[in-house]
Amino acid sequence: MALVTSVRDYINRMLQDISGMKVLILDSETVSNVSIVYSQSELLQKEVFLVEMIDSISASNESMSHLKAVYFVRPTSENVQKLRHQLANPRFGEYHLFFSNLLKDTQIHILADSDEQEVVQQVQEFYADFVAGDPYHFTLNMAANHLYMLPAVVDPSGLQRYSDRVVDGIAAVFLALKRRPVIRYQRTSDTAKRIAQETAKLMYQQESGLFDFRRTESSPLLLVIDRRDDPVTPLLNQWTYQAMVHELIGLQDNKVDLRAIGSLPKDQQVVSLLQYREVVLSSEQDAFFKSNMYENFGDIGMNIKRMVDDFQQVAKSNQNIQTVGTNIASLKLYSCKDVQLLVLVTVIICECFGFTEDMARFVDNYPEYKKMQGNVSKHVTLVTEMSKLVEARKLMLVSQTEQDLACNGGQGAAYEAVTDLLNNESVSDIDRLRLVMLYALRYEKENPVQLMQLFNKLASRSPKYKQGLVQFLLKQAGVEKRTGDLFGNRDLLNIARNMARGLKGVENVYTQHQPLLFQTMESITRGRLRDVDYPFVGDHFQQGRPQEVVIFMVGGTTYEESRCVALQNSTNSGIRFILGGTAVLNSKRFLMDLEEAQRISRSGSHMV
Amino acid sequence: MATRNRTLLFRKYRNSLRSVRAPMTESKSGVGPVIEMASTSLLHPKRSYTPVSTEDPGTSSKGAVTVGLPPDWVDVSEEISVNIQRARTKMAELGKAHAKALMPSFGDGKEDQHQIESLTQEVTFLLRKSEKQLQRLSKGGPSEDSSVRKNVQRSLATDLQQLSMELRKKQSAYLKRLRLQKEDGGDLEMNLNGSSSRAEDDDFDDILFSEHQMSKIKKSEEISVEREKEIQQVVESVNELAQIMKDLSALVIDQGTIVDRIDYNIQNVSSTVEDGLKQLQKAERTQRSGGMVKCASVLVILCFIMLVLLILKEIIF
Repeated sequence: MALVTSVRDYINRMLQDISGMKVLILDSETVSNVSIVYSQSELLQKEVFLVEMIDSISASNESMSHLKAVYFVRPTSENVQKLRHQLANPRFGEYHLFFSNLLKDTQIHILADSDEQEVVQQVQEFYADFVAGDPYHFTLNMAANHLYMLPAVVDPSGLQRYSDRVVDGIAAVFLALKRRPVIRYQRTSDTAKRIAQETAKLMYQQESGLFDFRRTESSPLLLVIDRRDDPVTPLLNQWTYQAMVHELIGLQDNKVDLRAIGSLPKDQQVVSLLQYREVVLSSEQDAFFKSNMYENFGDIGMNIKRMVDDFQQVAKSNQNIQTVGTNIASLKLYSCKDVQLLVLVTVIICECFGFTEDMARFVDNYPEYKKMQGNVSKHVTLVTEMSKLVEARKLMLVSQTEQDLACNGGQGAAYEAVTDLLNNESVSDIDRLRLVMLYALRYEKENPVQLMQLFNKLASRSPKYKQGLVQFLLKQAGVEKRTGDLFGNRDLLNIARNMARGLKGVENVYTQHQPLLFQTMESITRGRLRDVDYPFVGDHFQQGRPQEVVIFMVGGTTYEESRCVALQNSTNSGIRFILGGTAVLNSKRFLMDLEEAQRISRSGSHMV
Repeated sequence: MATRNRTLLFRKYRNSLRSVRAPMTESKSGVGPVIEMASTSLLHPKRSYTPVSTEDPGTSSKGAVTVGLPPDWVDVSEEISVNIQRARTKMAELGKAHAKALMPSFGDGKEDQHQIESLTQEVTFLLRKSEKQLQRLSKGGPSEDSSVRKNVQRSLATDLQQLSMELRKKQSAYLKRLRLQKEDGGDLEMNLNGSSSRAEDDDFDDILFSEHQMSKIKKSEEISVEREKEIQQVVESVNELAQIMKDLSALVIDQGTIVDRIDYNIQNVSSTVEDGLKQLQKAERTQRSGGMVKCASVLVILCFIMLVLLILKEIIF
């Protein structure tokens, strides 16, 4: 069962048994969980006529006792306090409390204590504690994502909170799927190990009753890995639709904020669309997006052109309706008393039947027409804007070098290419930084002199460059820290594979990169995930291959990886993969996390 | 998907805490506990009587939640939904009447036609009335109550639009089938008339029309008059429903767009009101400095110039 369906089922169940007018109260995290799977019009059908945030609900004292309050919030101490105040002075007739994760007994006690007026009708735990953007991809939208890069001693309480949130999210996913997994983690990552062990403790000891589901023949697998094992994927520029939108503009909860783009086109239809400044890109609601989200940029262009052509056909037929109106009006001029014109009138009447049918059809189909128009404008705007950005930042050129750095060998040639681009004036600072990082990750040990030269060149050319960021990245995710064979040059088998690929040539030079996740998934499918690299927690053991695998990436996932998972799932290999992370990264976000972690570790070292 | 119900545990805690609290309040008040009937509202018919100790009416207001009656506009919205329900049942009847009229019958289909006409008119009237009432529903400033009203309005508008489209589809399907039927029957007649009128064309110069020819012409006249009436009906109903749909489309949410997102609606409740005020101010400004005013002043000036020219012409000649 896909994750999106699970969250929708939870929300349906919340609302179905409560009759009458309702108000839905959410907190800042659950609002994302709900908005991404449920639309406003569907809420209206369920008689939810007001949606509020838990912060603003206590701002006014207006009593609306004809409404029933449905709370869906995370069980944090802040939310419990706010609920306490509300229950002491209730504004609504009835209160139905749904929490997105496990409640502690003390919290229930506090709530019961404050409910003197006995307005609370039910208290339930509905585990929709994650943001299900796509059927096989979820995220936790965590703000302080950089904490996973820091050792525990730097900020122990912060890291504990981070770890707790991740464990809660993973637990909610498995409760929604009604499974209890076998847990493995990446050996080289302390954060991953910690999270894996705490999840195991929760599922097998603390709440073992809750997780005691019907056993299937093979237990599912939870694999906790670290972003730093594959730092290349978030740094690369993307060329498939969903990933590209996130990389160039930014996709948050399946919404694109067009205000991020500097200048917007003045076309008539586009202006009316852009009055909202935000658009929705959801595979569940937009059929065109669903069939094109994993296609590369060239194919998207062709498909959009086809869509525009189809739409113009429809628009043209609607122009005819204008002439129909005048025809019918002119009918009245002919008087039927004139015998000689009887035949003429009859002919015209018959013809008119044809036209009135068109008009009737137009009125019937007007909502569809409007929707189609909106959809076409949206995609055309997005693709146009992205083309402009590609042109302005010379991304074709930059991306070619990036892909070469990520996939092909040749240190000398790589050095030349990177130096050329660093000298190129039109390449932006962030692109220069990414190129040097990719080079450094690949050729860390080869030719340190040239590496040093690149660092210096970068520092001199990019005024905003924070000193030592590349070195910090190498410290975090350098060759010694990584488990997997990121560049396919450790394992003999991988080297051979790379050579074969080089000889065969690639279909598209811009999409030749495969994230490391692909190799991991293949190993799991073949049952050859090495115990040395990915040990089991405690005394867990797995017989044979799992049929469901949840891969959780501490530090965040990317849309390129979610595409990889979706494509893998569509091959019907008998295993279903679900991918999740603490955030959805693009290069900007990844670099931001790096900078933040570097800043903290610097200040920390001063203290020590 | 797993859930866990904590209501029992919650109630247990609540009851135990209440019994801890109750003996304390009893010892405080001199007056014994008074059983007060909590006012019931339309929405809570099952509310039980809660015993409340009242020594001071001021503090007792804390004891019973004032489950008041819902505001007036809820009555309007309920009326609209009742009308929509009525329209729905009438449409079901209309569907049956359509099917009956289409069945081959020996008699004159006039009564069926009448019934269909009256039913269609009733449904259209109900829809129009509901739509007018719907417009009255939204009012008030940026309070929470106005958001609730707006949302109720939107939900009813969606229902109305659906009903209108259904009615349209039913009507067009019926008319199509009716026309097919009539064409099969009427075509024959038309052909006969057509051929005979062509034969008569040669004698057209003959002014004396025989009775036979007159009756034929009258019949074809009747048929075309009927046809025109039917077209008129179609055009009228299409116009009316188009009007309703246009009004409603402003209210109905376009699914799949940004306005259909819950988080977007939460963020934008306050900003829309400000925007609306700005738009009104701008409209006022443009109206004052509008093109109409300029046009009128230009015309007046031209009039004066013409007058002056006229006077000059008189003087010169």
